[in-house]
Amino acid sequence: MMGIPELFFYFFTIMVIGIGCIVAFSKNLLRSAFALFFVLFGVAGFYVLLGADFLAIVQIMVYAGGVNVLLIFGTMLTSDISTPKTSSLSFQGTLTVIAGVTLFVLLAIIINSGNWPTYVPGEMMPTTKDLGKLLLKEYVLPFEVVSFLLLAAIISAVVLVKKGD
Amino acid sequence: MGLTGFLTVSAALFTLGMVIFISRKNAIAILMGVELLLNAAALNFVAFARFTPSQASQLDGQIFAVFIVLLAAAEAVVALAIALSVYKEFHQVRADKLVSLKG
Repeated sequence: MMGIPELFFYFFTIMVIGIGCIVAFSKNLLRSAFALFFVLFGVAGFYVLLGADFLAIVQIMVYAGGVNVLLIFGTMLTSDISTPKTSSLSFQGTLTVIAGVTLFVLLAIIINSGNWPTYVPGEMMPTTKDLGKLLLKEYVLPFEVVSFLLLAAIISAVVLVKKGD
Repeated sequence: MGLTGFLTVSAALFTLGMVIFISRKNAIAILMGVELLLNAAALNFVAFARFTPSQASQLDGQIFAVFIVLLAAAEAVVALAIALSVYKEFHQVRADKLVSLKG
């Protein structure tokens, strides 16, 4: 008898892997960009299954809402999407797929043969309050460094795009 | 769906990202592959935080995943700005055609 979480786990697995293959092998780059949205959404579903509620919302807001929209705009601004004449895969495509499948089989064998010392996970608790406390106490230095990095990223993006004018 | 299930999904996501990163020509498609790689790493962190939490603080893995998301956002912004300015200069963003350093 499968419980509801297992059902969702297999649903998200099929969603992430299946649509991830569309991202990898679609000839239309815009289709890849839109498929990436569903992959990121599926990863947010995994975060919910793992009891990371705040992280799941951050994933949807920052990745699916921000990064993916940026990627879609970048695709539309930089390539001729209406007529994908040539395949966007390079000539090493088949070799890469073979290497990728081999890597995945190796990783899966290693993961499933290892004896991980897991605990039985406890009750799922809201994490937002504890994450906020951690970010402003133990991890305040990385937090400030990341905020400075984001500022640097904003300025560098503006400078890079304006330079060509 | 124990720890190994999540790790296997994460390995598959990592492999997909690697395949995109190596086989795609378009610079923006390569960026999508990088996003998938970062997502696979973050999923591993959260899975380990759930199933093998550290005794001192249960949420260390999730904090790391938050930082990964922020770094990925910064990286995507800068990489797209580079792609746009490259497109202005060369009128294409195909990684195998961009061979000249000085426009």
